Amino acid sequence: MAERTPPLQAQDKLAFLLSLVPFLMEHERISVQDAARHFAVKPEQVREAVKLIAVSGIPGETGQYQHGDLFDLAWDDFEDHDQIVLTNLVAIDDAPRFSGREAAALIAGLQYLSALPENSDRTAIASLMAKLSRGASALPSQFAVGASETDETLALIRTSVASGVQLQFDYINSRGEHERRRVDPLRIESMDADWYLRGWCHLREAVRTFRIDRIGNPTVTTEPITTHAADVHLPDTLFEGSANDLVVTIDVAPSAAPLLADYFTDGTESTLVGGRNRTELRVSHYHGLKRLVGGLPGMVTVVEPADARRAVRDWAAAGAARYEPANDIAEDAAAGDAEDAGQENDTR
Amino acid sequence: MSSEFISSQDAVPTPSVSKIPVEERLFSLVLALLATETGLTKNEVLATVQGYRQRYRAGGDNANLERQFERDKDDIRDLGVPLETVDSPGQSGNNQNLRYRIPRGSYELPDDITFSPGESTLLNLAALVWREGSLSGESRRAIIKLKGLGLVSDEPVLGYAPRIRLRDAAFEPLRAALERNAIVRFAYLKPGEAEARVRELAPLALVQHQGRWHLHAAEPGTEITKTFLLRRIVSQVTTTGATFPAPSGDQTAHALAELDEVWESHTADVEVVPDSDAGTRLLKRRGSLRLPSGVLRLHYSDVNIFADELAGYGPEALVLSPPALRAAVHSRLLRTVDEHAADPSTAGAPGAEGTNHG
Repeated sequence: MAERTPPLQAQDKLAFLLSLVPFLMEHERISVQDAARHFAVKPEQVREAVKLIAVSGIPGETGQYQHGDLFDLAWDDFEDHDQIVLTNLVAIDDAPRFSGREAAALIAGLQYLSALPENSDRTAIASLMAKLSRGASALPSQFAVGASETDETLALIRTSVASGVQLQFDYINSRGEHERRRVDPLRIESMDADWYLRGWCHLREAVRTFRIDRIGNPTVTTEPITTHAADVHLPDTLFEGSANDLVVTIDVAPSAAPLLADYFTDGTESTLVGGRNRTELRVSHYHGLKRLVGGLPGMVTVVEPADARRAVRDWAAAGAARYEPANDIAEDAAAGDAEDAGQENDTR
Repeated sequence: MSSEFISSQDAVPTPSVSKIPVEERLFSLVLALLATETGLTKNEVLATVQGYRQRYRAGGDNANLERQFERDKDDIRDLGVPLETVDSPGQSGNNQNLRYRIPRGSYELPDDITFSPGESTLLNLAALVWREGSLSGESRRAIIKLKGLGLVSDEPVLGYAPRIRLRDAAFEPLRAALERNAIVRFAYLKPGEAEARVRELAPLALVQHQGRWHLHAAEPGTEITKTFLLRRIVSQVTTTGATFPAPSGDQTAHALAELDEVWESHTADVEVVPDSDAGTRLLKRRGSLRLPSGVLRLHYSDVNIFADELAGYGPEALVLSPPALRAAVHSRLLRTVDEHAADPSTAGAPGAEGTNHG
């Protein structure tokens, strides 16, 4: 984790200083390395902070920052042995409260996580939220996330992730095809109300992302997983581009553009055409595209290639036909249009 | 907010005589105000506190330094430090004699608030949820404070990467307005209406429900509250300069309860192709029920949003009722067909039915 720590802003640095002092008071002697590990920062950040603390203090009676008005440090221990021992303390006795916003961010995060199986004990979560609220210096600001119900599939997946055993389930890909998949579950991910499983698929022999709401009849096996999270690259972004992706030109209403951000190619230029952004989208196949575009009616139009336009049109036309009299049969639905067997990223 | 504090320190073209880092000045200010019982006047702060005193000119013009102090106060308060002002006895109303201090009791985390290793693990995961926007900074700082308590969490929760998006441009300005009880103005496009209408509202709460952010707001001066989808705000959000009295009670709980109620009361019957994507996913929506006939009874909050979602399933889903939803899905599908009509330039392709491959 430590390699991903961003550079601290001035406010972060202040929060760090105000939190580091009580931490150091608790630990009469601690190495720079241990403190850095605890706060998940670079050792150099701890050294800098300690040096600053050691020369800081209060103006005092004289307004001159006399010796006794300053923090002090066992400098030899610090400089020769990288050990932190505070020898004089001023002003600070205790850890600071959370701000209203900080508490609200954690509370809303907890509300969101209440969907996780291990958080099914709602009383424990509620008491934790109450503590955050009481530990804030202002009323937590007014934003929240609606709690979702614990999903049984999620619970099952969680069990198999935790115990390191393979999972089997039926999966419908966006072409509408069914397959029984055997997967080494590696990570449960989410984006707002949608939950996903990242795992090593034994059928495809590759890392795949599965929408949890497309998973049917899951069973936890007794077979240990063969591929571990450390063995493969699990990217941070849910939707990964691939060399086999199809590039599609679309016109998108500016208000809908953020909804498609994951599908835009890097550095995609967009030009304004008739009040809409003309831009490029990457998709693994048109079966995903037709569902995506069909679900954003009036907001996205495929410009080219013609095959892509046709895939969207046929899909919507087949849907519309079901609303017309004497056509109310689902015979030509979904099936039979699996023309391109490209690689999949069955997330949409 | 955040952009202000990033730039504020560098924005002042004060001829800097010393290179005292921002955090040293802020830290010294907090220490000085924590240590004083009676408070310090602004002049005392500027004249004595590290980072100010180096630039203070006794008897001279300290306007720049005063502005710096104002911004620093905001930055410190942003961090949750309860910096308060007290009138000097007998001098009330005289701005120069206001005294500043940080009362220890409201600064320090109460002693009885402790977190178990399990709770600490959960809080770390909760902080991970926010990876964009200003809330990622808020949760990062909350975690720094949590670590200051010396907690060692259980081993990190392996195998989870949760996240909430904050992609609606309206979120940040609304959140800022909410905190200040400021009346906001924005253009809102109600589905079915041709043009967006400008609204002026008292924002009460921002809530995410079923994956979408909503604003719960009141018509200024009334008790009438309404809920708006952030996605349908089509202009910038501005403040009017007017404020409103802080509402009492938990507005978020109220807003979520209302949205839940709407969700509960709206149901649709949808016929799905067995074992299709629609059949699998729609059944997994919250509260979905499969009727003995195989038809799914589904809950939703908004006809238009649900119609969009169902249209994405193409022929896999057929709305049986209510009629408004049925019509909405049908017209969406027709619109998509229409907008993807064969390009006339690519040779005499037939109409909307198109030609199939091969």
